[in-house]
Amino acid sequence: MTDRKNPRLLAVAAALIFVSTMAVLLARQFTSAPSREVPAFRVFGPADAPVQIDEYTDFACPACRHAAGKVEEMLRVFDGNLRVSFKHYPLLNIHPWSLHAAAFADCAGEQGKFKEYAALLFEGQEKWGRARDLPPEFEAYAKQLKLDWPAMKACSEDQKTLRRLQLEISEGDLRGVSATPTFFINGKRAVGSAQLLDQAMKFDNILRKAAKK
Amino acid sequence: MMDRETGRKLGGLLARVTVGAVFVYSGVIKLMAPPEEFAFAIESYQLVGPQLGMLTAQALPWVELYAGVLLLAGVFTRWMSLAALAMLFGFEVILGQAMARGLDIASCGCFGAASGTPPQEFLQNLGLMLLAWVAFKFGGAYSADAHFSQAKPPEAAGAK
Repeated sequence: MTDRKNPRLLAVAAALIFVSTMAVLLARQFTSAPSREVPAFRVFGPADAPVQIDEYTDFACPACRHAAGKVEEMLRVFDGNLRVSFKHYPLLNIHPWSLHAAAFADCAGEQGKFKEYAALLFEGQEKWGRARDLPPEFEAYAKQLKLDWPAMKACSEDQKTLRRLQLEISEGDLRGVSATPTFFINGKRAVGSAQLLDQAMKFDNILRKAAKK
Repeated sequence: MMDRETGRKLGGLLARVTVGAVFVYSGVIKLMAPPEEFAFAIESYQLVGPQLGMLTAQALPWVELYAGVLLLAGVFTRWMSLAALAMLFGFEVILGQAMARGLDIASCGCFGAASGTPPQEFLQNLGLMLLAWVAFKFGGAYSADAHFSQAKPPEAAGAK
């Protein structure tokens, strides 16, 4: 075992380690995968839709509220041809209650009202977004929608819910998401509703191509 | 007809490349996924806390990747084979204790999302340990080690 004395081997080892490190870091930057499955209550549109959108959103972000309306409109216009997977990407450093909001929204989803609860969160984001203590709005919205609040609270503290959120945030990090809303439209990135609408102009081409198949 | 020495060399090469490829695959598949995923798998063994689990999840895939790459190229073959053997032995101990304690582990985390159950991985690891041992004994042929040891040092080549 005297081979470690060989400086040329050391140089080769260092070069291999350097190259493999760079290859992995580059692949991480450019990969559109991995994309984890989201719960069924956060997916809108048929599985075989030609246009697939992953939407990374923060409930406390005003641009996300604006984009949510656009996405809703697009789902109506491209009915049956569009599938949107809603993914949480709370910006924890600037929105202290976003993670809680995401957890509560998922727990409302478990009770069949994700969309409705999400709409109320967006609508009232200015009220709860910068609260010092746990905003009472989370409970008020649940009661407004006649949801089981104690069950929602327990669900929001459940490790399973929190892990799912952490994994989604981490997935967003790996896909290079740093701002919200970020969309991946058939793998192509768009940040903000202006870029989303810009991409939507090309949907007709995608749909025409899909129809020819 | 292949003589015994050639058979050993080819067997060693095959073992080295197989173990190296498995380590590269195992490292890359984890590095391309969120580290939390592997950290959750580590936590399910109930040996370390979340912080150490996360640290391990971030570091171990790189170690696997580097060991695999060096084994594939045949750089420091004997040391890398030993390192692979030691890692596989460590994984085996961890899997074994989980099975002995009857821990409910759906996925061992060995190959990210593509992992099997602990008993499957336990058996697979045994096979890999055998291959790592073969690589340790006979894996030096057709390697970077062999290439550089064949190159004569300047004084031996008669350089002035």
